[in-house]
Amino acid sequence: MIKLTEINKSEALRYIGGGKVDMNDKMNALLKICEKEILETATPKYLYKKIPLKDSGLIIGKSIEQHLKDCDEAVLICATIGSETDKLLRTASVTDMAKAVVLDAMASVAVEQVMQEVDEIIAKENPDKFLTWRFSPGYGDYPIELQEKFLRILDAPRKIGLCTNDNSILTPTKSVTAITGISEKPIEKRRKGCAGCNLKETCKFRKSGERCEF
Amino acid sequence: MNFNDLLKKDYILLDGAMGTMLQKNGLKLGEIPETLNITHPQLITDIHREYIKAGADIVYSNTFGANSYKMKDSGYTVDELIGSAVKNAKNATAGKALVALDIGPVGKLLEPAGSMSFDEAYNYFKEEILAGKDADIIVFETFTDLLEVKAGVLAAKENCDKPILVSMTFEENGRTFAGVSVASAALTLTGLGVNALGVNCSLGPDELKPIVEEFTKWTSLPIIVKPNAGLPDPNSNTYNVGPREFSRSIGEIADLGTVKIVGGCCGTTPDYIKALKKVVENKKYKSAQIEKDTAVCSGTTAVEINQPRIIGERINPTGKKLFKQALINNDIDYILSQAVSQVKAGADILDVNVGLPEIDEKQMMVRVIKSLQAVVDVPLQIDSTKPDVLESALRIYNGKPIVNSVNGEEKSLNSVLPLIKKYGASVIGLTLDENGIPKTAEGRFNIAKKIVERANAFGIPSNDVYIDCLTLTVSAEQEGCIETLKALRRVKKELGCKTCLGVSNISFGLPNRSLINHIFLTMALEEGLDLPIINPNDEDMTGTVRAYKVLANIDKNSTDFINAYNEIKTEKPKIISPRASIEHAIINGLKGEASSLTEKALESKDAMEIVNGELIPALDKVGADFEANKIFLPQLIQSANVAQVCFEVIKKHLTKTNNAPVSKGKIILATVKGDIHDIGKNIVKVLLDNYGYTVIDLGRDVAPELIIETAIKQDIKLIGLSALMTTTLKSMEDTIALARKTPELQNLDGSSKCIFFVGGAVLTHDYAMKIGADYYCKDAKESVDTAKKVFGN
Repeated sequence: MIKLTEINKSEALRYIGGGKVDMNDKMNALLKICEKEILETATPKYLYKKIPLKDSGLIIGKSIEQHLKDCDEAVLICATIGSETDKLLRTASVTDMAKAVVLDAMASVAVEQVMQEVDEIIAKENPDKFLTWRFSPGYGDYPIELQEKFLRILDAPRKIGLCTNDNSILTPTKSVTAITGISEKPIEKRRKGCAGCNLKETCKFRKSGERCEF
Repeated sequence: MNFNDLLKKDYILLDGAMGTMLQKNGLKLGEIPETLNITHPQLITDIHREYIKAGADIVYSNTFGANSYKMKDSGYTVDELIGSAVKNAKNATAGKALVALDIGPVGKLLEPAGSMSFDEAYNYFKEEILAGKDADIIVFETFTDLLEVKAGVLAAKENCDKPILVSMTFEENGRTFAGVSVASAALTLTGLGVNALGVNCSLGPDELKPIVEEFTKWTSLPIIVKPNAGLPDPNSNTYNVGPREFSRSIGEIADLGTVKIVGGCCGTTPDYIKALKKVVENKKYKSAQIEKDTAVCSGTTAVEINQPRIIGERINPTGKKLFKQALINNDIDYILSQAVSQVKAGADILDVNVGLPEIDEKQMMVRVIKSLQAVVDVPLQIDSTKPDVLESALRIYNGKPIVNSVNGEEKSLNSVLPLIKKYGASVIGLTLDENGIPKTAEGRFNIAKKIVERANAFGIPSNDVYIDCLTLTVSAEQEGCIETLKALRRVKKELGCKTCLGVSNISFGLPNRSLINHIFLTMALEEGLDLPIINPNDEDMTGTVRAYKVLANIDKNSTDFINAYNEIKTEKPKIISPRASIEHAIINGLKGEASSLTEKALESKDAMEIVNGELIPALDKVGADFEANKIFLPQLIQSANVAQVCFEVIKKHLTKTNNAPVSKGKIILATVKGDIHDIGKNIVKVLLDNYGYTVIDLGRDVAPELIIETAIKQDIKLIGLSALMTTTLKSMEDTIALARKTPELQNLDGSSKCIFFVGGAVLTHDYAMKIGADYYCKDAKESVDTAKKVFGN
């Protein structure tokens, strides 16, 4: 079980945008309140499973083929911070939109923090292997519709209450699915970069001259 | 043999896991277990047979996921899969055991967490139930959403007459993934009239024990316990509790009482059932004393009526101009904010009344109940005079609600009470009938008695009927108050029912109403009033209830009282600095100051002068700072919220002076069909609101048809659509296309009446133009600029 003890606030601010803004006391106080509420509400849950890639039906498109080209196996991962967080966000949207924006960003950061912890668990379980970085449906040309298959293989609806809707949107919304390749030999370092990203035209980080660090 | 015969036994044995047995027999990764019913019928029958040999009285068919959503890629129909599954099970029983049609969750989340509607879920279940017509029992298992399983139970009740078993899956914190508490599950399912209820999966027997114990406090129905074989190892998928330990633990759980139906879930095999049989074989069933028999609940929270509980009365258009306007404009957020503020002020339950001649009450009631349950946890009281409105709301309500109300008239008794029984609600009984309100306590008591007797005849227990002895206006009938209180006392004492009263009626026509109201409330509490229906935002009224609970030794150690008032003392009085201006307040996010300053400004200035001369320029300045990256988005929104407070003050002023409210134009906003991320749309809404536009917010996951219908009805010029995901851009395109071909939305010259602006993470200007939008807005600020351009203001 993963328990979050803090939320990376500067990361949350980056999600909100406006990276060079001066902080004031009011904003700091808002961040603190929101962090507390997210930590109280989030119920992090995750699943992962090592699978052979051959005949898995999961290699669709150039992006993932390139990404996993040195790998015979991969780990499927999914994580969520639960549906109560969605309720918290909905309530804030009705009563205090400023808070809702901060909560929303913090909830996204929280899921990412859970995924990072899962990365570490997987790395520890595969000490002699080489791992790619995490790749999610929706990156590059990797179809977002595959999320449903990921969840089915992981038995996620039953085990952690994570589903998709008819438009391949994860529910609860603050959730992630991903695949990490496992290789016997060192993996050629490829920068993640914007070139292969399907959000590159609209990305708010790129617009402000930053990167999302993906 | 049928289920009733089985109930004569001390304990009924269920089977163990199907999935575990299939994996042992070589089920492959990603293979759909339900298809084995057709490809390997003998294997399935053999597994059932093993369980029956081990002692199972009931076996679950291999149909956990056999709904048409999950089976869409299986190559078989639900009819084929379930038909063969039930046949395989029947082949194994040979009259020695019953076959339960096993139904699991659909596999996608219901609104509001997901986008599946109640009716969609109902239809999946109905299809399964009809396909399983040869089964003996219907069992719903592993559910985590109470409303989803309610859809299933209703589908079963309305399409077959088989016994219904329900077990839900709880985590160690005593809640399901969807936040459902044991109390809520027990109250709701007992009310719906299932035959047995309980827990399965997720945990081993020892971890489930406290959860089962909680069940015994809330229901007297037979409890089902079907735990996993302990906890799983994530890598090997093996479980840590063996058959002997497992069955011993279940024996201990049975000692809690009321537990009657036992078996095993993931990781258990025929060996476990064999061991379990040995444990319960010579054990006598015992029932536990139910502790909490008078309560209502939402999906997450139960409220026991064992002390005065406040019902908030503010969600009601009667006598409220702004509320009426909100209903007509479909402004659900206004209603939601009323709900949240009442809960914050101390309401335990909220009354919901949306009756207004200008609107479709049924549609609105369903929409408001759904929206309320998405943001507040308190139970609701469904308030309508129309049985069809009540029934629609009762269907989709998550939990056990109160219905307001039934009365002593034959017509009312015969139309409302059957609904209360069917949906397992509580009901308020008004002591009036065909002849009006009796003047005497005696007359009202007699009607109360009649209502309770009739309810009992329908199978509704007395503790689900709350009697309202009716408050009359004391300035008109001064002797009436004492009669009301006398009737209340008799109802409590002689009928043993809980009581409620709308309190504030008492003071109509008198000065200092608040004083009369809270003294009357005090008197009624002393006579035993359980459910005062009041305005919780009125500090005197809420305070009276809190103080009463201290003095009557209900609020032990004055804990709640101290919690409620500790913070108030520390709040500093508002001091407005002499140099303060509306602009200063908006830029610095000072809500309290802004409202007093606006009130002051209204004494000397015209409303529009304040809007255009002070509010808008201040907002523009903040907007420019945001664009220049000088402030964060939340700060922009905070300023907008302050402006909103100013607008509220101005609106109230105008409504009072009977001027039309300020509006610079009406705009529809919606997150399109299939998309449930609505934060972007909500930000746009706040900004537009505060620039003086009237926003009709249709919410998220909105069908094109509703958008078009609203545009026609409200004569809308500007529509904003939001979509976050690539997968839902199509809905955006569909909505615009539908508008373009709807004749009512075209001008005589063939041009379009509606202008669309669109936004969302994956949109680009080019794409927006391609799908026929008029404007692409990269952020909320640009939406405001677009609105200014379109309306020329």
